[in-house]
Formats: sequence, structure tokens, C-alpha cells
Amino acid sequence: MTRRMAIAVLSLAGIFLAAYLTLYKLGYIETLACGSGSCEVVQASRWSKLFGQPVALWGLGFYVAMFALSVAGTMDRFVESRNVSLGLALMSGWGVLFSGWLSYVEVARLHAICRFCVGSALLVLALFALSALDLTRVSAASTDPRRPQA
Amino acid sequence: MAKKTVQKAGPNTKFIGLLAVVGVLGVGALGYVLTHRGPAVIMVDPKIPPGAAEGHLMGKADAPVQVLEFGDFECPGCGNFATVTEPDVRTRLINTGIVAFHFYDFPLSQHLNSFTAHLAAACADDQGKFWEMHDRLYAGQDEWSDLLDPAMKSPLPVFRKYAKELGLDVATWESCVTTQKYTAKIKGNQAEGNRRNVAQTPTFVIGDKQVAGALPYDEFKKLVDGVIADAANANAKGGAAKKPAGK
Repeated sequence: MTRRMAIAVLSLAGIFLAAYLTLYKLGYIETLACGSGSCEVVQASRWSKLFGQPVALWGLGFYVAMFALSVAGTMDRFVESRNVSLGLALMSGWGVLFSGWLSYVEVARLHAICRFCVGSALLVLALFALSALDLTRVSAASTDPRRPQA
Repeated sequence: MAKKTVQKAGPNTKFIGLLAVVGVLGVGALGYVLTHRGPAVIMVDPKIPPGAAEGHLMGKADAPVQVLEFGDFECPGCGNFATVTEPDVRTRLINTGIVAFHFYDFPLSQHLNSFTAHLAAACADDQGKFWEMHDRLYAGQDEWSDLLDPAMKSPLPVFRKYAKELGLDVATWESCVTTQKYTAKIKGNQAEGNRRNVAQTPTFVIGDKQVAGALPYDEFKKLVDGVIADAANANAKGGAAKKPAGK
């Protein structure tokens, strides 16, 4: 399995995680299965919305974009595309920064931890690591003098 | 011999299989939580007397359908109902005299600012503006529902701003809130919810049905129509269904 395939699988898992939180925020799910965590505190906070929309909805958009790009990147015509790798790395890099900020808000401002948010942050970190490795691979391949010229 | 650097591309059974597994698990999990939305509709005796609790009434007291909402000002589901569904309920069902809507305070203990919010609304009621404060609190839920950082320990400044916006006599209102004048009334409403086994917010009592969750308008209307149909059937059968249903 290639790194892009792994990115696609993880992104699909992220889609469902973000969809779950979005449905809760929109009122379609009454309670979050958070166990001993403080998901409700986090989800009810003013930081749970961005530009009038639930942060989880932006997260859903992020995972959908990562999924679409990574699946496209497994196709023959894009498999060596540096732009796909760059796009994945930039998006996931932004995701890491945003997740980092949200984690800071949870710990330092809200003093509450949402397990699903932590799960999403770890997922984004894994996506970034895989995207960075993929970018390194494609960059190395494109500068390899033994690579057949098109 | 040149080392192969190009990764295997194209359809990959393992990849598609993994996607399918994650997809099925995800859809299954989401489907489960969407279809198991807490307690389903439970049947209740519509003639349960309301007890000492008063609630807050919107609409004609003698409307044919009596609806009770047990709500928490800090609960996102209640906020969703209040801002998305309730405007339609007011326009189409309350203002038309079909429904009498009773709001019962049910502040949940895990919502740290909720009780103060209920006091803010009860004190606005003193000046005839309960529903205005009710709407403002729900519309501004994000502003005050999580004021947990050390610099903003109390939601009162936000509520004071709302009181000013609504044209309340702020000094009188604030004195009412800080002395917790309506604590007994709020707890009375909450006790009424406990008596009816309300376990989450919002919970609605519509006729002989008790339903938890932020109902969309169509679902709400269906329950109201059911009460009207039941009353009509009872009348047709010569039953004594003269008492308004719901309470």
C-alpha cells in the first residue's frame, strides 16, 4: 500500500469522525459518546465555531479534500505528480497548525479535553507525516537522473 | 540494475478493501447514533397535573394542544431547536392559536452558566420580557455558554448586555439575578421535569407523548397533528375529550 493510499484510508476515517461531531453540533445527535471526557464543554464553547460554521464542519471539508486528493493521487496519471504531494503536504500542514491551536484552547483556555478532538489531532498529525514522506519520495524520484524522461 | 522507484499504482485490492471496511464501519456507526437518539417517544398520561411548577407560557392558555418543553439555556440541542425550529412553531402553531407552549426550566448541572441564564430569563419575566431574553440567550449561546477561562468567570456581563439591549431596567433586573429571586421557581420547574423522568434536554411533552431531542418542525407538527386527530376521534366517538390535551 502506498502512502497516498494510507492517507486516503485515514482521511476517510476522519470524514466519519468530523461528520459525527458536526451532526452533534447541528443538533442531530443529542449526546456525544465521550465517556469521562469533556466533549460537551468543548463543543459548546465559542471556539467550536469559525466564521459562523461549526469547526467540525470545516474539519469535515478538510478530510473530504484530503480524501479526494489522495485518491486522485493513486491514479496512474497522477501517481508521480509532485503537485498532488505538495497539495497534501500543505493541507495537512495547515491542519496540524489548526489542530495544534485547538488543542491549546482545550488545555489552556477551556481546561477540558474532547477525546474526539484529540483523535482528530492525532489523525491530522499522521496525515502530515505521511504527506511529508510522500513529498520526499516524489521529489527524490523527480530529481533521480535514472528516471525515464517523458 | 536500476532500482525501481515508482510505487505500484492503479486498483489495489487491499486499498479498496480497507476503504470499504472503514466506510462500512463509519456509515454503520453514524447510522447507529442517528437512529438511537436517546430515549424514543414514551407514552405519558396527558392528565398528569402540572404540580407546583409554573413554566412560562407562550400562546393562548386554552389552545387545543398543550406543549411542554423542558429546556436548558446552555444546551446546544435546545439552542438548535430555539433558533431553527421554534420560529416556525411560533408562526404556524402558536400564533394561530393551535398550540400553547410552556417552557420549563431544566438547567443541567454540567452546564456551569446555565442556572444564571435561567435566573436572567426569570428576572426578565418580571419586566414582561421572558421570551425576549429566552431568544437572546439562545441566539448568543456561543458568547456565554463556555465562559470558563479565569478572566471571565461569570456570564453576568454578557447577560447584562442583553438586558440593556432588551430595554430592561438593568439595575432592577440585576438585583433580581444576584439575589437569585427566582431560584425556587426554577427548581420547581426542574422538579416537574424530574417527576416526569426527563433525562435530557430539550424534552417535549406533546399530548400523550414525551419526546427527547431537538425536533425538526415536521416531526413537531406531526406530533401536534396527532393530538388534534386523537381529540377529534375521541369527540366522534362521543368521548369526553373536552379538556385540552397535553397537561
